[in-house]
Amino acid sequence: MNFSGPPRWAEFLLERLLAARDRETVAGDLREEYVESIMPRIGRPRADVWYFRHCLSFARRCASEGGPMGRLLIFSSLVTLICSCWLALMELLLRHAGFASRTAVALLIAAICVATLLARMLHLGVRRERWFWPAAVALIWFGAASFLRNARSAHFEGFVFVISLVLVLQGLLMLVTMGRTNGRDRLTIGAGAPSGEAADSIRSDR
Amino acid sequence: MSIDTECQHAYIVGMSDLLGTFEQAVLLAILRLGDGAYGRAVLHQVQESLTKSVAAGAVYTTLDRLEQRGLIDSRLAKGTAIRGGRARRYYVVAAIGNRALADAQKTLAKMWQGVKVPAAVKS
Repeated sequence: MNFSGPPRWAEFLLERLLAARDRETVAGDLREEYVESIMPRIGRPRADVWYFRHCLSFARRCASEGGPMGRLLIFSSLVTLICSCWLALMELLLRHAGFASRTAVALLIAAICVATLLARMLHLGVRRERWFWPAAVALIWFGAASFLRNARSAHFEGFVFVISLVLVLQGLLMLVTMGRTNGRDRLTIGAGAPSGEAADSIRSDR
Repeated sequence: MSIDTECQHAYIVGMSDLLGTFEQAVLLAILRLGDGAYGRAVLHQVQESLTKSVAAGAVYTTLDRLEQRGLIDSRLAKGTAIRGGRARRYYVVAAIGNRALADAQKTLAKMWQGVKVPAAVKS
């Protein structure tokens, strides 16, 4: 079969970036533009870049869906993700006593950050309620414990101080923002996402 | 200093209710396209009227926002084979949207009244 549409992975990414209400219509519009206009004009490789660029233009909207607190959560998750990956890497390279447990904790935090980012930015249908409460409590506990231990120790480390505060902030933001239903998805609960069959007949959303 | 009726109306409506340039471009694109105003066509029309490349995300975000504010309505229509059977969403400017556009036009005309922009100084 000769598949002349945009790359499947890019279409998958676009659909995950869109709210359920827009998933079918927007993906259809971009596919139509790609097939009818862009690919014949500039060729497949550049058309793929065009498609990916437009996919990314929806990421900003996803990031801003949770309002200022949602954006702060994404920012803190990114900071913590980078720091925990760095810490895990250093532990593995330096191999001081007890490095295995510290590496495991750093990787666990990184996994929580990745899951948070996926749940917030991509509509992957993650059943948030199953994991975000214990994950948020774990982050707050770990951040607070690190902060207190650092405050009591003879050598105060600024890096640990900042990271522990970011961890506590991230945990609190998760508790505040993650339980909420996405506003744009909520609109579609009653109407349902436009399905192929439903779209066969012209209907009004209002 | 007296504020005449039109400006007073715009003032009472509030600055946050005034349409932005991009919102106006999207609403005007829908008006121009008439019955054929679906996402892709609106994107094309906006790019043409602003004479620059516009990200799809910006147009669809604006369409969503305008719909939430009640300035436009939308309906779903059957998709074509080239779209993989995916539905199209057609937009139409609501009465409130027409009024907002008319207000924006009047406000802009009032703002520009008697103003002459000095010629750009060459550096």
